[in-house]
Amino acid sequence: MAATFASRCSRVGRSLFSGPSKSSPGLFTRSHEMTCSNVFSQQLRTFIQMRTVLKVVDNSGAKKVMCIQALKGKKGARLGDTIVASVKEAHPNGKVKKGKVVYGVVVRAAMQKGRCDGSEVKFDDNAVVLVDKQGQPIGTRVFGPVPHELRQKKHVKILTLAGHIA
Amino acid sequence: MRLEKCWFCSSTIYPGHGIQFVRNDAKIFRFCRSKCHKNFKMKRNPRKVKWTKAYRRVHGKDMTQDSTFEFERKRNRPERYDRNLAENVLKAIPKIDKIRVSREERHHKNRMKGKKEKLQREAVRELEQGISLVKAPSVLQEDPSLTLPKIKVKVSQQQSEENHPMEE
Repeated sequence: MAATFASRCSRVGRSLFSGPSKSSPGLFTRSHEMTCSNVFSQQLRTFIQMRTVLKVVDNSGAKKVMCIQALKGKKGARLGDTIVASVKEAHPNGKVKKGKVVYGVVVRAAMQKGRCDGSEVKFDDNAVVLVDKQGQPIGTRVFGPVPHELRQKKHVKILTLAGHIA
Repeated sequence: MRLEKCWFCSSTIYPGHGIQFVRNDAKIFRFCRSKCHKNFKMKRNPRKVKWTKAYRRVHGKDMTQDSTFEFERKRNRPERYDRNLAENVLKAIPKIDKIRVSREERHHKNRMKGKKEKLQREAVRELEQGISLVKAPSVLQEDPSLTLPKIKVKVSQQQSEENHPMEE
């Protein structure tokens, strides 16, 4: 059983990355390369929880924020939920400064979320749009695709700013 | 209600089935089941995986160009409802289906032409080459009842008999 698995892995590894021909080193190189190349689609498939770092996809001035609290749900936030976050990286002259505590809506999540018809949707990365306490976006543009479920969450403004709706 | 096609295996995805993956450039990949999703994550090319529609199309296994495929097409503008049109469409669907199935059968038959003869030829060759594995050549020589009656016979009728079991 283990032997067949190793041989299969080595075959796949060789075909994908042209690794060494021995079975066990082939296995290791494969797993290593997988983690490096597919870091978004393979690794970060969990809830948005405390210390999750998310990309900011608007022009509010922040680049990366770290989640410090999910406003709803015990396990954490998912696609469309609101989080409290602290700004970890920011552009030098933006509206939002580094170290500020902000609110944000998760507009893309690598963890799949069920849709109303029973199918599922997942994205490439974890991304957030910063909003104020009333739910109005701070920036004036939204980059990349956003899910249409934001309409149910009363974030129509983000939907109108977004270019692609998935 | 829109029926999508699976990105990997090109099967129809009915509402509520499967998973869709949205890449950062907003391209949507829809998958009919976890099998196709996993194959996508393993970065397999559907043209190289034998059970997919793409493979069968590329390798000439299925009928690719046919006028019956023109009816099933993605239309971005929804058709305005018309009672007569809907009735006619519903009437036409089984007919088109029947035509498509018969054409596919014909294509398959054409593709399989010559298969039987090829199998026959291969079987004969294998028998000639591999008979020594079953019976040692020396045994075959000393016991003529084990071999096909080859050396004794001179009559033309029995020669045809001699060839006959070889072909089978």
